[in-house]
This record gives sequence, C-alpha cells and structure tokens, in this order.
Amino acid sequence: MSSPKSRMAALQALIHSDAAAAALFDAVRCVAERSFFSVAEPGHDEVFDLEARRVPKWLSATVRFEQGGLAGSVSCTLPELLAHSLFDAFTGRDPAEPPPTSDLLVDVVGEFSNMVCGAWLTRVASGRAFTLSRPRVEPTSHVGAIGDVRVLAAIDDRPVAVDVCVRT
Amino acid sequence: MRILIVDDSAMMRAMIKRVIKLTDVPVDTILEASNGEEGLALLRAHDVHLLLTDINMPVMNGAEMLRAIARDDRWRGLSRVIISTDGSTVRREEAARLDVRCYLEKPFSPEVLRDVLTEIADGRLAGTDPQ
Repeated sequence: MSSPKSRMAALQALIHSDAAAAALFDAVRCVAERSFFSVAEPGHDEVFDLEARRVPKWLSATVRFEQGGLAGSVSCTLPELLAHSLFDAFTGRDPAEPPPTSDLLVDVVGEFSNMVCGAWLTRVASGRAFTLSRPRVEPTSHVGAIGDVRVLAAIDDRPVAVDVCVRT
Repeated sequence: MRILIVDDSAMMRAMIKRVIKLTDVPVDTILEASNGEEGLALLRAHDVHLLLTDINMPVMNGAEMLRAIARDDRWRGLSRVIISTDGSTVRREEAARLDVRCYLEKPFSPEVLRDVLTEIADGRLAGTDPQ
C-alpha cells in the first residue's frame, strides 16, 4: 500500500502531466455541452490570440480548491458576450425578457467555473473530497498569466482560457 | 410535494426550479435556501418531502446539513438528493451513509434531473446513480 507522501507525489505528477490538460479540456466540454447546450472545441494559440484581440470585455472567475495539503485554483476567462449567451442557455431566458444584470452574469460565470473545477478534480483525483471556495469573478480587459496547466477552447466560437495553478 | 432547494448560486436554484416546473411532478411549494443553516431553518418550519442540495456552500455546507438531518428522527421520511460538482468517491460513499437517495453530479442535463424527480415522485428511486 502506498504512503500518503507517495500518493501526494503521484497526484502532483498527474496534475502537471498532459493527462491533466486533456482532462481539463474534457471537463470544459462536458460542462459546456451538458449544462449550457454549447459546443466546445479545442483552441489553438494563433486563433485564440487573433480572436482575443477582438474581445473588449472579459470576465475571469477563479475557484480555489484544497484538501490535505494540496491546494490550487481553476480560473476561467471568457468574453462578456459569451457570458450573456451562457446565461440564456442555462436559464432558458426568452429574448423578450430583460437581459441579465451584471450580478447574474457574475453568477453564471462563477457557476461555469465551479463546474469546470469540480469536473476536472473528479477526473484527476476522484479519491479525494476537495473543498471548493466560492468563485471570485472579476471583469478584466485581457487574459491573465498562464497557469501550471492552460487549456484554450472555443465555446460557441468564442475564445476561452482555463488555467490551473497548484501549490502544496 | 413540497421541495427545498439548497444552493448558494441563485442561478442554479432558478435552473432547478425551471426543470421542476417542466416535469409532471405535482409540486405545492418550492422553498429556497443559500446554505445549510438556512436549509435547516426551513426544514424546521415546513413539512418538506424532497431536499435537493449542493455540497460546497458557505456558512454550513451540504454534508454538514445532511449529517444534522440524519441525526434527527423527524426527517426520517425526507428524500435527499445531492446536486454537486464534487463527484469524488469519498463524497459519494459519505452520501450513501447519510441516506441520500441520489447523487447528481454537475454538470447535468435538465433531462437527468427531470427523470430523478419523476422517479422519486413515483417512489421508484432508492439509492441509485443516474449518471
């Protein structure tokens, strides 16, 4: 039977592997399709950079996770316009209804990130019960620094960056 | 049927309410709470038949609320469903010990929740995992 120390080392190695990035994209696709009825495709650096330059406003949501000495965060950064369409898909908003308030947009981006974080952790470390923080959502004019793992995606043809940072 | 939704996301509660209203399940009242403490207060004040709860919430999380419910005989007949992003085996095993009838992992499609509600209303669901 492996010791807690060796299990931790194995988990850290997994999180920094290509498998972790693949699991992160799978989590994004699963969340987009199942709860937001949206199509998520892998993003590519050049296309992402090109599309990102056209985005005037972004929303970035960060969810922190922690369990037994392993902690980190998952951040999803997406265009505000995409947040509007995710809100409509999630709530079934009729176009005749008033558009969502900024608080509701914050809520939808936070929930999206919360689901991505949980789905990713379930894929890479299903034997651990992590505590997740409430999402911290902030408007931003650009996509932030690259984390330990970064996945680029296009959701409904709009650029999305998802970063994982890990600390022990 | 009287249903209590406990989730710290107002939007998630709204989505669950929308799905409930789309089912044929006869519902008298849908109550809402944003954490376990508020949830317990509503359970004490109302005769609730079905609890749909998240796990990760501020103030009192869903696991703490479910432990409190399991300790109190007055809620023995309450049907409990977890709706959470936390799909870990640890949480699922704990849920089974706390008499949770169904563990629904986010993200889920509205159809999955609809089926769970219908099966609970029909009395068919007993500790199953729809995903």
